[in-house]
This record gives sequence, C-alpha cells and structure tokens, in this order.
Amino acid sequence: MSKVAALAEAVASVPSGAHIALSGFAITRCTMAFAREVIRQGITGLTISQCVGAMDADLLVGAGLVDRIIHGGGSLDRFGRLACVNRGIENGSLHAEEYSSLSVAFRYLAGALGLPFIPIRSLRGSDLLKQLEERAASELASIADPFTGEDWLALKPLLPDVAVVQVQIADQDGNAWIRGPRWDNAEQARASRRTIVLAEQIVPGETIRQDPERTIIPGLLVSHVVELPFGAHPTTVYGVYDYDAPEIERYVEATRTPESVRAYLDEYVYGVKDHQGYLEKVGGQQHLSALLADPVLGY
Amino acid sequence: MDRDYTPSELMAVAGARELRDREVVAVGLGLPVVASFLAKMTHAPEMTILFELGVIDPEPKDQGVGLADPRVWYRARVLSSFVDILGSILHKGRVDVGFLGGLETDRFGNLNTSLVGDPKGKFRHMVGSGGANDIASSARRTIIIMRHEERKLKQAISFVTSPGYIGGGDSRERAGLRGGPSKVITDKAIFGFHPETREMMLLSIHPGTTVEDVLDTMGFSPVVPGRVPSTEPPTADQLRLIREQIDPQRMYMG
Repeated sequence: MSKVAALAEAVASVPSGAHIALSGFAITRCTMAFAREVIRQGITGLTISQCVGAMDADLLVGAGLVDRIIHGGGSLDRFGRLACVNRGIENGSLHAEEYSSLSVAFRYLAGALGLPFIPIRSLRGSDLLKQLEERAASELASIADPFTGEDWLALKPLLPDVAVVQVQIADQDGNAWIRGPRWDNAEQARASRRTIVLAEQIVPGETIRQDPERTIIPGLLVSHVVELPFGAHPTTVYGVYDYDAPEIERYVEATRTPESVRAYLDEYVYGVKDHQGYLEKVGGQQHLSALLADPVLGY
Repeated sequence: MDRDYTPSELMAVAGARELRDREVVAVGLGLPVVASFLAKMTHAPEMTILFELGVIDPEPKDQGVGLADPRVWYRARVLSSFVDILGSILHKGRVDVGFLGGLETDRFGNLNTSLVGDPKGKFRHMVGSGGANDIASSARRTIIIMRHEERKLKQAISFVTSPGYIGGGDSRERAGLRGGPSKVITDKAIFGFHPETREMMLLSIHPGTTVEDVLDTMGFSPVVPGRVPSTEPPTADQLRLIREQIDPQRMYMG
C-alpha cells in the first residue's frame, strides 16, 4: 500500500487533541504548509513539541488550535519573537512547559530508545526547573545514580502521537533524507508513534538505495509521504530555497495583535483553497523561483 | 581622546582574547560569533566553533539572521544535531568555553533570557533558553557579553534561565553543576568573579571610562580591587579583520 498521500489526507489523519512534534527551527524547515492545512481543517486541542520554538508552532498557536507547548524557548531569529506563543504565555491561555534545547532533545532521545527516563545535568539551579516543577511535576524527578549515589535530574521520555517533518527528499515508502543540520528531527521521528514526511521532492526508491547512508528517517517509521514543494515557505529549506524575508516580515507585522493575526489567517490560510492557492497568493512561480538556492551555497 | 573603534568592536576583541588555541567553543549569534571568528583568524587557528543545532567549524561568507540561517552553516565540517553537539560534545564535558548573552544578569552571573517583569504577575515573555541553559550548566567556563546598563546588570533578576554561581559561595557545586562564568564583558568594563564569594569583581575598565561611571551605571556593587587597569584597546589588525572579513555589513556589531 502506497504511503504517498495528498496534504489534506495526511493532515486529516491527525485527530484533535494529538501531540505533534514539529520539525521547524526558528525560520528553517518549518512545517508551514502542514500548519496552514491543520488550521483549515480546524484540528484543535493540540500539544506541540520541538526543541526550539519555530514559526510553524507560532502560526498554530495564533490560530487558537494549541493547548499546550513543550519546547526549549524560541524565536524567529532577527525577524522577531514568537509573538503568538509569547502572547499565549503572557495571558495564560497557553500551557507552556519551557525547557532548554538539550532537555527536550534528551526527552525525545529517551522516547526514541524506549527508555523509561533520562538523566541530565541541565536545568538544575534554574528557574526553568522551578517553573517545570509547578507546571509539569509528573515529567521530572530527582534520582540517585544507582552506582555512585550522586544526585541527578531525570526526565520522562517524550512520546508524540505523530512527528511531522519537512525534508528535502523522500521515496514513496517514506525513506527520507535531510540535508543540513537535523537538530531534533531524527529523535522526534523515532520517539513518535508514527511520522508524516513532507518532502520537497519524491524520488524513486532506487535513488535512495544508491546513497542509503543519507537516510535520516527510515520508511518503517512513516505513515504518510506528501510531495510538497515550497512546503516550508516562507521559511527556508537548506539546499532548496532561501527564506522569503518580506513574507516573514509580513507575518511578524501581522502577529502584533490578535486582530491582525485573524486578518492574516483570513487572507493567507482560510482565504486560499490549498497549498497551491497559497503559493499563487504569495507570488506564484516567478516569485518563488527567485528564492531557489544556489547549489554550492545551499541558500 | 577620539578612539578609532566602537564599544562593540572592543567587546568583540576582549571576547576573542579570552579564547585559547585548540579550545572548543559553543557560540550564539551576534558579538560571540565575531569574537570567535576573530580569535580563530588570529591567535587560535585550531579552535573549534560549535553552533548548538548541529554545526561545527563553519566558514560563512555572508552574515545570517540567526543560527537557523543556512548562511552561517557555510563550509561547515560537520552538520549534525542537538544530541551530537549539546549531548555528545557539551553534556559529555568537551566544551571549554560557552559564550552567553542575555536580557539581565546579577552579581553571581545568573542569566535571564526568558522574561521581563513579574513571572507571577504581569510580564513580557521573550526568547527562553535555547541551548543557553545547557551551555551554562555543562561548559567548563562561560563568558557573558552584555551591554552595560542598570536595567541589565541588576541586583535581582526576574528569572534565572541559565545559572551562574546561583547564590554565591559553593551553591553552584551544590546544585551539581561544573564550571561557571569566568568573565563578564560589557561596553564599559570587564569583570571576573571573586574566587570564594563568587561575586562579580571589576577587572579592567575600557579606555575613556572611569570606575565611578562603571559603578554608577549598574544595579549592584561589584568587588572593586585597589587598582583597576585599563582594558587593552583593539589593534589595527583586529579592527581590519572585523570590518573587512568577519562583519562587513555590520549585522552583528550593531
């Protein structure tokens, strides 16, 4: 049975209330087309996790679909902060469990390895730990090293229902290559019950077999593969296209108030039928081809 | 006297001087990038530069908007992951120096990058930790780079995102942490930490400023030794490298 699916079909497989691990990092390889389709389908009550909060999570929070976020802090780099996430934390509407990058990565790693917990040196002596003890007490504990008796902080594994990962290349069975740094994506896919791969390009299985050491996500973890060119727009995909700075600036401007977020969603998400409609809306092929990466530079 | 360099350039040069050849350095974007590349291009050619998301030893030719920008990964020797960089290099204990910036620090070098205001009341949420807490917890030493302002160098900070010497004395060791901040570099002075109390201690003041000015523009009183030397100014060669090669578009130097 082929795993190749349309975006709408892959998104429809995610139930309301699901815990989704997203592949974005700030303004890079964010699952933007996926997030826009989740918003169109109105899948609510989500838990979102990622090591560093990114534009994909911020858009979903801005659309009011996220109850809980688990991350190590985040931003849109120099473009700005995660305005929707920050507003949700400030007014109490978003339940935020804030860690550090490595502590979230270790929680995915424990989940990936099937371990019951993982000890970590990070977080101790910080207010992040005090805040987590109030907000997420069941996720952490103090333990003694069984061999030396030394005190350690132990974290529970993160076990998302689904990892959603935007990649450069995959075959129709979901074997996926990620070019460039992979931050937490390999551990996210392994910790989750299943993975949805969003590929800029689907290639023949033979292409993957010729360079199998490049495969970061094995197809056996994958439930759906969607061919989704410019699926991370306006964020960047290394080696494929650069970020679209004016469109990220438009988003930053739009997320200043809840009202302007709604206007942005009306125009760029609800106002278009699908991903193709969105790409036409932001300028179509001519505009997008100007973003294509130089093969040597990667941007 | 007119100086031919900016406060940011002096901070970057002071940061570079703290780095030694063959050290492994975890870096965030901005001034620390300039300091690290400057060290590597001058006295520390075999230093290793790490970015938390999975980048080792890049040689960017264009400036980027942040660590997520592929511009800053250009010509890297390794592109990997958080578990690789922050796990098997940092958490394992292989990082000599971490560079950290922040919204606020206190006299024990605790850093806030999370929020301003009252965390139990009205506050503005900012960025959070990223890898900063991990670096502050596991690097052999950290260097803090920050503007010298009363609202940034505070008696009490709103939130400890990344621990320094916590409450001073041996409280960091008691929390199970190694290392700790070694220097704080501002645009007016360089500070170290008292070996026993772990309070911030004035080490040098930059040319053109006075001890009084340094103390009047911060929110707590550091330890001040009897004699405070002047910070060594940048050399012409260091300034040329910063302006022509490392940050020609002045994206990091403000």
